[in-house]
Amino acid sequence: MILVVAEQRDGRLNRTTWETIAAAQELAGLTSAPIAILVPGANVGSVASELAAARVKEVVTVEHAALEPYTPDGFTAALQDAVGQVGPSHVLLPHTYQTRDFAPKLAARLDRALVTDVTALKAVGGAPAFVRPMFQGKLTADVVPQGPTPHFVTFQIGAYRVDKALKGASPAPIRPLGVKVDATAIREKPEPPFQQAKQAVDLSQAERIVSVGRGIKEQANIEIAKKLAEALDAEIAASRPICDAGWLPMERQVGSSGQTVAPKLYLALGISGAIQHLVGMKGSNTVVAINKDADAPIFEIADYGIVGDLFEIVPAIIEAVKGQ
Amino acid sequence: MVTLAFWLLFVSGVTAFTLQVATRVRLIAVAPNTFSLADLPFRVKRFVLDVVLQRRTIRERPAAGAMHALVFWGFVAFAGYTTVEFLFGLGIADLTRAGWFEAYRRALVPFAAAVLVGILYLLVRRAFVRPVGLGDRVSVESIVIALFIATLMITFLLTFRLDEGTTAERANWWVHMSVILAFMALIPASKHFHLVVSPVTVFLKSPELGNLPNLDFEKEQVGLETVKDLGSKMRLDAFTCVECGRCQVNCPAWGAGKALNPKKIVLQTQRALLAGRHETKLGEIYSEEVLWQCTTCGACENQCPVGIEHLPILIGSRRGLVSNGDAPGYLGAMYNNLERRSNIWGLGYDQRTKFVQSAGLETFDPAKHDVLVWLGCAGSFDADFQKSLRSLFSILRAKRVAFGVLAKERCNGDPAKRTGNEYMYQELANGNIEDLKAAGVRKIVTSCPHCVKTIGADYAKFGYNVEIVHSSVFVEELLRDAKEREASAERREIVTYHDPCYLGRYGGTVDEPRALLTRFGADIREPERNRDNPYCCGAGGGLLFADKEEEPGSRISDVRFRQLRATGANTVVTACPFCSIMLKGAQASAGAETQLVDLMTFVDGKLKTLA
Repeated sequence: MILVVAEQRDGRLNRTTWETIAAAQELAGLTSAPIAILVPGANVGSVASELAAARVKEVVTVEHAALEPYTPDGFTAALQDAVGQVGPSHVLLPHTYQTRDFAPKLAARLDRALVTDVTALKAVGGAPAFVRPMFQGKLTADVVPQGPTPHFVTFQIGAYRVDKALKGASPAPIRPLGVKVDATAIREKPEPPFQQAKQAVDLSQAERIVSVGRGIKEQANIEIAKKLAEALDAEIAASRPICDAGWLPMERQVGSSGQTVAPKLYLALGISGAIQHLVGMKGSNTVVAINKDADAPIFEIADYGIVGDLFEIVPAIIEAVKGQ
Repeated sequence: MVTLAFWLLFVSGVTAFTLQVATRVRLIAVAPNTFSLADLPFRVKRFVLDVVLQRRTIRERPAAGAMHALVFWGFVAFAGYTTVEFLFGLGIADLTRAGWFEAYRRALVPFAAAVLVGILYLLVRRAFVRPVGLGDRVSVESIVIALFIATLMITFLLTFRLDEGTTAERANWWVHMSVILAFMALIPASKHFHLVVSPVTVFLKSPELGNLPNLDFEKEQVGLETVKDLGSKMRLDAFTCVECGRCQVNCPAWGAGKALNPKKIVLQTQRALLAGRHETKLGEIYSEEVLWQCTTCGACENQCPVGIEHLPILIGSRRGLVSNGDAPGYLGAMYNNLERRSNIWGLGYDQRTKFVQSAGLETFDPAKHDVLVWLGCAGSFDADFQKSLRSLFSILRAKRVAFGVLAKERCNGDPAKRTGNEYMYQELANGNIEDLKAAGVRKIVTSCPHCVKTIGADYAKFGYNVEIVHSSVFVEELLRDAKEREASAERREIVTYHDPCYLGRYGGTVDEPRALLTRFGADIREPERNRDNPYCCGAGGGLLFADKEEEPGSRISDVRFRQLRATGANTVVTACPFCSIMLKGAQASAGAETQLVDLMTFVDGKLKTLA
């Protein structure tokens, strides 16, 4: 049995659970073991029915008042009991902050192997091996956990895709499982969660960004960039001079003194590419730069570069995008 | 009877003086000892220039400084006279009848006149002109002291007019002597204590600007956390401050409207010490916000006429904060970059390799190469600055200098050291020293002034001594015998030159860049604040990465850019990658057409076009 531990809060599923289910299905392909999803919490009925859509053997709910809000002591006690009852070969978890908090404690309590931050699976000599980065990602290791089962494995967020998780023809059965948790033994007393006042614009989550530099020349011309952003369903951003001039709000500044972004597409319009701007967007998947100065440093890191007048090129791109 | 009365007056004056001085001496004696007498010849020379000849007092404020010099020299001249009068008053010895004394007395007349002129000038300046550096309020105590000094001189001059033995003559004598004793009682608690201690403080000031001894982690040193950690020299500094405000008006942060005021830092130290707040955190004394506003440009320390060192307090306190995890967020990101990728940008080393290959650079080999060119973080990764390095390479190749680069470099550690992350600095420094030694490097040329200062002066504290020069110095010498490119007056290009703080102020390199500019056809329009007292670009001390650098006040880079623009020159030449980044940012924000050019690019361009 492969056991996937789902993560939810207040009846809302953390979507990374689906990534872990996808990983479990790949592991099941190697070991031919059936999969069960374990849903711990205080009131997890709706989350369990949501997860029952997955192609798994069963969904097991572990409900206990002491499991909400989350505490490492409560989770360790409940999961120790539940894992003992189910007796799986592997326990798979998403590598979330919550998992990082309790999984080492749980594995140590059971004296079992724990492999963290796994990005892929492999078969090594018939046994499943778990691939994980080492030394800041400079090397990867294939880890084959030793010792008695279950082996605990956590999966890096984004290593598996949510849409790769296979759905079943009919919903999987849901089974409640009783666990013993001594509420008085829980030492942590969590306060209600709070969220720090978030910046009005969180560019770090944007998939596409249209970014404007001095080459835009006048405040009125920002409209052209905004139109392109609209056509591409992208966020608008800028380099320091544009925000300094007040043409766009400070919160839209990208760079070492602004936000650090990593979109799939970064379109740099009239941005020369000073280093302090580059370090704020170097993580972008694809960089397209439009600049009339062929020597502009932005072309050093651009995947696609267009040397020319952005006032001619941008309207043409807008037209092309709309024409699709 | 009269002698007894004078004795009583004398003892009370001296006791009041001694008790107050003793408090201060005790506070210095219990402190960690940071006094040093290293490099005595330099200290003696500086003592003569700055104390005897009043160089630093006069240089920045010629009129007020000269008047101060008159008062100072007058005081020194009067020392013997005052001693003789005290010996007489106390009934110990009467030398007033000696023939030499009469001659000495007459010789003092021009000094007395000079002091009188000087002190009246300073009195008017302080009470009515009121320059901003002297503070918001008129210091009543300073006015009293000035009037005291004037009284001393007037009563001295009156001795030539009053007949001996008359009541008026006796009264005049008593006024003179009482004022001296009242003066003694008054000065230890006032800024006039500098009369007594500033010669000592100047002598004890480190010969090196911004001297920050390495922390010894074996001894669990973590920097300055509370008032009791302040070293003996820092405490002496606090009691020496004359509150002239030179540090304040030269501070770029203060000039841009920020909360940091170096003079306030010194006075806050003084108050905290006297109030016995030994356990109070320095972040509370100075405010953390203020401590992070310092660019470490060194203007405060360099302009101080009484030997105060501000940087050890400012950076020492940052060390204490960083050790407790209290660094601002933007530094956390930079520290991560340094830790993971050994460069401030957090970029991968393949990018440096790409540049090294495309520029055709060879790996340094002592058998083949005369010098090592140190690229630095900017040279390794900033495409913009790499243009300037290509110019340097082209000049070196033209003059057949055999040079190579290291296969790999780490950041020299300057951004870590100046922001108080000493542990990271030492890791980076030790790694680089190992690599430089292993490569057999004897001489280094670099275009980064921060690398010059850190690899030169700071690495020496690890016992590693290597010759490192800025490209401006190396190239100036290299091209000295080059044909003069003197263009005719109307063909000369009008430029202004921005001295980088770490080159002009720390390195004293001010003539070479100008010599190169002039040699290659530039007409230099000097900006305000230049040479060894430039106004900072705003990048130093980790502030290159500050996200909220604009608050409060304006950006330091914008203020500097306005100063450079005011010269009327359309070309700004500088010689530091970080000055270049800051000023280009300011230029773009101002929407100005001003061109920013690195010195090497300027020289190489002229070499090619004028050849």
